[in-house]
Amino acid sequence: MLAVFLVYTSFAGGTPQVRPSQLNGRTGEITLVGKVVAPVQRSGRTIRFRVKDIDRTNAARLPVTYTGSVPDMFKVGRDISLKGRLRNGTFVGESGTLVTKCPSKYSSKES
Amino acid sequence: MPELGRAALIVCLGLAVYAVVAGAIAARERRQRLAESAQNAVVASFATALVASLVLLVGLVQNDFGLVYVADHTSRELPLGYTISAFWGGQEGSLLLWLLILTGFSAVAVLLARRSAPTLLPWSVPILAGVITFFSFMLVAVSSPFGTQAAPPDGAGLNPSLQNPYMLAHPPMLYLGFVGLTIPFAFAMGALIARRSDELWIVVTRRWTLIAWTFLGFGQLLGAHWAYVEVGWGGYFAWDPVENAALMPWLAATAFLHSVMIQEKRGMLKIWNVVLVIGAFALALFGTFLTRSGIISSIHSFTESSIGPWFLGFIGIVLAFSIALVVSRLPLLRSKTRLESPISREATFLYNNLLLVAFCLTILWGVLYPILTEALRGEPVTVGPPYYNFFLKAFGLPLLLLMGIGPLIAWRRASLRGLGRTFVWPAAVALATGAILLALGAGSSIPGLVGYTFCAFVMASIVLEFARGTRARHALGSSSWAGAFSSLIGRNRRRYGGYIVHASIVLLAIGVVGSSAYDTVAERELRPGQTMSVRNYDLRYVDNVTRRGANAQELRAIVEVSRGGERLGTLEPGKNRYFAEQQVSNEAAIRSDRLNGEDLFLVADQIDPDGTLFLKVLVKPLVNVIWIAGFVFLGGALIALWPDAREQRRLAVRYGGREALARA
Repeated sequence: MLAVFLVYTSFAGGTPQVRPSQLNGRTGEITLVGKVVAPVQRSGRTIRFRVKDIDRTNAARLPVTYTGSVPDMFKVGRDISLKGRLRNGTFVGESGTLVTKCPSKYSSKES
Repeated sequence: MPELGRAALIVCLGLAVYAVVAGAIAARERRQRLAESAQNAVVASFATALVASLVLLVGLVQNDFGLVYVADHTSRELPLGYTISAFWGGQEGSLLLWLLILTGFSAVAVLLARRSAPTLLPWSVPILAGVITFFSFMLVAVSSPFGTQAAPPDGAGLNPSLQNPYMLAHPPMLYLGFVGLTIPFAFAMGALIARRSDELWIVVTRRWTLIAWTFLGFGQLLGAHWAYVEVGWGGYFAWDPVENAALMPWLAATAFLHSVMIQEKRGMLKIWNVVLVIGAFALALFGTFLTRSGIISSIHSFTESSIGPWFLGFIGIVLAFSIALVVSRLPLLRSKTRLESPISREATFLYNNLLLVAFCLTILWGVLYPILTEALRGEPVTVGPPYYNFFLKAFGLPLLLLMGIGPLIAWRRASLRGLGRTFVWPAAVALATGAILLALGAGSSIPGLVGYTFCAFVMASIVLEFARGTRARHALGSSSWAGAFSSLIGRNRRRYGGYIVHASIVLLAIGVVGSSAYDTVAERELRPGQTMSVRNYDLRYVDNVTRRGANAQELRAIVEVSRGGERLGTLEPGKNRYFAEQQVSNEAAIRSDRLNGEDLFLVADQIDPDGTLFLKVLVKPLVNVIWIAGFVFLGGALIALWPDAREQRRLAVRYGGREALARA
């Protein structure tokens, strides 16, 4: 049984969770995990902002662009995760995959 | 006041430690008075937990911001109901709630077992006390709700999304479920230590397990409904680790509720049952560990809690101890009866258990996968809904089918001819339903069609069982059909209550299948006056308004809904901007159709200053059947739980003596 899970998850699988400092130009689809940094620009349904590592040890700031529903809790300073890929130095997020993490112990809110 | 709270918790810890030590010595040396003293200590621990809880409650209600916990989770303008719910809104308070329920349940269990199972009590008491020791230790030394500070003028307030009536019901109900699983665990371990291999511990804790399982199940449904209406993404379950944390012990407990029937009837599966009850309890602990430590969302933070390692350590101790105990008692537990045929009721229950446990392990694997991959590869890989939904179908559909087969199939060995006779009617109903649905277009989703067909099969077999039973009672001399029906249920509460619960699961399946396999989603950008059509609904965006609510500014899009030319009403999806908390929340608008259980779900993704609306529309067929299923579930469980004097007498004969004569 376990073998079935292993096979399924490694193929169908999961997406790796990566921090901005770890991104290093990889172009595959990943889940970016980080903290939102100002400024946040909106035009229509697209928002542009930057993301940095959650633990403050690294100063790398990654530009992100995302088109799609933005969860209510989204704002500067919030921790988020977003699926997508790096294109020309900007991380482009997949619509509907932006998830903000509640600062309290309760679960994340998605859109 | 906080000193009283802290003192009460320290006394609680002391009582628990005493109960462990004295209880163990008393059990070993068979010293009755010492054993009773240990029992009393457990009961007294509830009193101390109650005192501590009242201190916190008073502090909350009086807005005593000198208590760090109160300041962190409430504010002056927070309505009273939510102020009370802040008790369990944070780490420390929720631990205290856990302790309160744990000591309460333990006290009641001990007092009841004095009459119904005195031979099991001596070793069960130290086990219960051991768990109480851990939680009171956490509250005393690691995570105290009674930390003090110089009182700020106002508190931080409660997260707006928690300011919802569900906050008053959902967490306490889940806790009643999680904690309730401690009781069967303790009695199982107590029986093992005492070298018993009979079913007394199962019989004595049956209602505890059922109550815990019911609360856990209903609590999850409440949570699903809350997420559906409040978070508003159109779904009710996202396979989030926190959601999975409650589902896993529930699945294990479901398997356990079924497999104990086999042990009671045929004396089989003793080892399996003990392992399951350990698993259910361990998963409950693991579940609360997952929710608190934040370890799964990302190893690298999202949490500042240091509580994780302690929980992990405790779970490790519980598992090591229980497994060692089971291994050492293996010869005692080996059953003498063998499974006679793969086509029998025993076998059906076994398949049911295997599927439930397999699904539970699948979820566990999915939850742990990020941790494992991070340890192995250096970065966490998460699995999403596709993984879980695949296995939900793979395991859930056969389980559904088994639910229809189990109650009708014969014990020991079913002949194929007997099977044919028994199942011809339900199978016919199922196939006919399937054909009709196919003609109506349900073929768009094969798993959905299969699911509906199986549901029809199960419903038919349940109806058949009720019909046959009622007819038999009527033949036995009941005056009327209604009388026969009610006396049938009254005399077999466990069985027919169980059938009603099965029916509720069928309803749940119908609702889940309808709303996930046959739903429609559409997104459009609309200017005022524009219309969009989804399925047979026509939606016209009229305009947007801004209103000032009690504690938020409310932005709403006014959408007129029509169907087939007939005006159905107006829906107003939008956003709330809360003044005090400086947060925005999504307010979805839902129209529930009374006749077909379908929901029209509108989300205003964005309303621009120039009036442009980005509208997301979901049509979720049959979703309301899910909520109805919850009530049927409660009803069935209540019937199965109802005390039954006749059953008591039967058990007394079986286990002899005063043991089982009292209330189980």
